[in-house]
Amino acid sequence: MKEPATPNEPATPNEPSAGRGPRRRGGGRAARQAARATSTPAAPYLLRRVPPVDILDDESLAMIERNAETILSQVGIAFQGFPSALELWRDAGADVDGELVKFPPGLCRQIITDNAPEVYTQHARNPARSVQVGGDATVFAPNYGSPFVMDLDNGRRYATLEDFKNVVKLTYSLPQLHHSGGTVCEPVDVPVNKRHLDMVYSHIRYSDKPFMGSVTAAERATDSIEMARIAFGGDLADRTVMTSLINAASPMRWDATMLGAATNYARANQACMISPFILAGAMAPVTVAGLAAQALAEALSGMAYLQLVRPSAPMVFGMFAASMSMATGAPTFGTPESGQAIYVMAALARRLGVPFRSGGQFTASKLPDAQAAYESAHTLLPTMQAGVHFVLHAAGWQEGGLALGYEKLILDADQLGAMEVLAKGVDVSDNGQAMEAFFTNPQGEHFLGNQHTLANFETAFWRSDIADCASYEQWLDEGSLSAADRANARWKQLLADYEPPPIDDTIDEELRDYVARRKAEMPDEIG
Amino acid sequence: MNEALQMNEALQMTSIAADEPEAGDDIDLASLDDSELTAQMHDDLYDGLGEEIVEGVNILLERGCSADKVLNDALVEGMRIVGVDFRDGILFVPEVLLAANAMKSGMAILRPLLAETGAKPVGSVVIGTVKGDIHDIGKNLVAMMLEGAGFDVWDLGINTDADEFLTALNEHKPDILGMSALLTTTMPYMKVVIDTLVEKGLRDDYIILVGGAPLNEEFGSAIGADAYCRDAAVAAETAKELVSARRFTA
Ligand code: B1M
Repeated sequence: MKEPATPNEPATPNEPSAGRGPRRRGGGRAARQAARATSTPAAPYLLRRVPPVDILDDESLAMIERNAETILSQVGIAFQGFPSALELWRDAGADVDGELVKFPPGLCRQIITDNAPEVYTQHARNPARSVQVGGDATVFAPNYGSPFVMDLDNGRRYATLEDFKNVVKLTYSLPQLHHSGGTVCEPVDVPVNKRHLDMVYSHIRYSDKPFMGSVTAAERATDSIEMARIAFGGDLADRTVMTSLINAASPMRWDATMLGAATNYARANQACMISPFILAGAMAPVTVAGLAAQALAEALSGMAYLQLVRPSAPMVFGMFAASMSMATGAPTFGTPESGQAIYVMAALARRLGVPFRSGGQFTASKLPDAQAAYESAHTLLPTMQAGVHFVLHAAGWQEGGLALGYEKLILDADQLGAMEVLAKGVDVSDNGQAMEAFFTNPQGEHFLGNQHTLANFETAFWRSDIADCASYEQWLDEGSLSAADRANARWKQLLADYEPPPIDDTIDEELRDYVARRKAEMPDEIG
Repeated sequence: MNEALQMNEALQMTSIAADEPEAGDDIDLASLDDSELTAQMHDDLYDGLGEEIVEGVNILLERGCSADKVLNDALVEGMRIVGVDFRDGILFVPEVLLAANAMKSGMAILRPLLAETGAKPVGSVVIGTVKGDIHDIGKNLVAMMLEGAGFDVWDLGINTDADEFLTALNEHKPDILGMSALLTTTMPYMKVVIDTLVEKGLRDDYIILVGGAPLNEEFGSAIGADAYCRDAAVAAETAKELVSARRFTA
């Protein structure tokens, strides 16, 4: 399980040759057009070559860990409505009083360090897109959970299955997104107890990137597992093909729905992101160190529980930190404090030795506007610099998670491309140093025709698909478009160009049958 | 507020400024006359001082003020000011919570007296987050604002099913049923509760208010609620309006 997949590293640029090399025919216009039209195959995930940024010293981190142990042993964590969890905890030596569990100091940590994998591979339907979760890899997945969608043409509206499929298709088409995600938006037009079937099917059918399963009921997790078994063939005991989102009911609670889903996934060797999701101020103290101690305590208890269910179950330490505006009560996103929380929690996860999920591109803005861009950047940079392994909500999040923005999805994905460059670090190889260029370039002249430039220019600079850097007049001629306007045109183009990945007909049929049968077995339910 | 009124108020304030206690001063509430005491109670509510509110309520009652008048002039009016400053971004949520708690301690004294005299309390609410849903931050804020506005609130917590709502309605006979849902998977359950009330012929006994981020006006009316409330302040306002409209027509 620890053997990570190898990402396709972008081809290294040619070594520079001194002076002018022999001239070769390049195939002229047709060849160049063809070459520029097809982008290099996207890497299945990003490899970080730069060390993570720590904003706290070891002593402070150790103090937060002690505080978390104090919370675990003296305040306790409730495991609500799920007696089998209490049974496991009693056997493991915790103090169980009603539904409240108090853990001897060090117990949760010990269970995790003894059992949990540091890194695992989540297999994709297309093996070239399998992702490594943990280590020096970062995986980007789109928005999750929004009941609404918004785009410039139609405004904000409840999301439908059509929207859901569109987002899956767009995510498949966007090379910066490595993972298809889960509930990318909520298909509100499908009955509550049947949605998950359509969602899982859409991920499998319209994408070949890895995906997440349903968590809104234990039996929906089971359906997700069954469908994955059909799609991947056979028992999944040896392969992890889903990583699903399990939120804590902060403060200091785990609820029966999440415990039920997590238990079923763990038993089937499928991964869970055990995520405290905290609005500081309301669900935790207002300070970063206070929030960190609580989030660590919650995550430790949830992760240790998973390891009790199935030792060495693949899992991720998750943390989502935002805050509640003390002035209005509204959730806020992209604030500097939540950035600090990401750095601190990532460091705590590293010390524990498990993969870490956090960050994304968050905003409370209702539009793909300046607020959205700034707030998103304020989460994305800490996410990258902290060395987060799995980034849910990496693109599309708008309005505090209430809406998926079509344009925002495109704008965000563009920024993820820039992160790839940052993560790679600075090339100090011979080619990176570029000393040849100085020796071969006439003193004081521009470098545009230099062999080193010719050998490197295509990949030297990250190029935005969206940003406009043309002259004012050209911009005017082209319709005075904003970034959001350009993103609007791009998602439409991507959808128009979309072609589904291949799928074996018999597998597709079996999946459809499964969905049809399960739907027929249940009356439509609301709730 | 028009300019003349504003001027007038400013003038009044300067004229009494000399006698006004400084922040932090210990004040002998009993030494204030009724209107000074009422004004002081507005400040004490604003500062979230429960004990002082209890003391002020008791002094006014001892002086023969009716419970009704204490409620309206001292407490409801004080919380109205709190509400305005919360809306305008001067007061913060934790401060409103303290103010609402201070209001509650005053209400605890007034409630039995109001019942005795037959005077109408502001109103009462049974509220809860619906079945399957554990989001409660918004609902808690709404409950806080309602209490701040003088309502008696019975909070059923999270994951509340129709039976629990019905039992609580039957027990407390409130004016209002409030329901909160944050998930598209749970908001349809609000309709289940309303339909159950319709079935039992109880729908018209209550004002039904609903709220939660994924809802909207349209959804509120589609499921047969009386109003959708976009935030806690609107919930309190709507609750007051609909209760008084109902009393007016009743
Ligand atoms: C009279 O009656 C009235 C009147 C007015 C009323 C009213 C009742 N109720 C509310 N109002 C109104 O007044 C309030 C005050 O002004 C306002 O209340 P609000 O609640 O809107 O506002 C609060 C003050 C602050 N807002 C909040 O507290 C909600 C914020 C968000 C981020 C949120 C949080 C915090 C949480 N979550 Co959840 N969560 C999200 C939310 C996204 C969002 N931006 O809303 C949302 C709602 N969650 C979602 C999801 C997916 C989930 N959550 C879950 C869990 C949680 C936490 C436990 C981690 C936590 C809640 C903790 C708690 N104690 O409440 C899970 C479900 C758990 C369950 N069974 O309920 C889980 C399924 C995630 C998972 N995979 O585990 C998404 C919606 C899903 C959907 N499609 O409907 C979501 C939009 C975020 C997202 N993008 O994923 C008004 O709406």
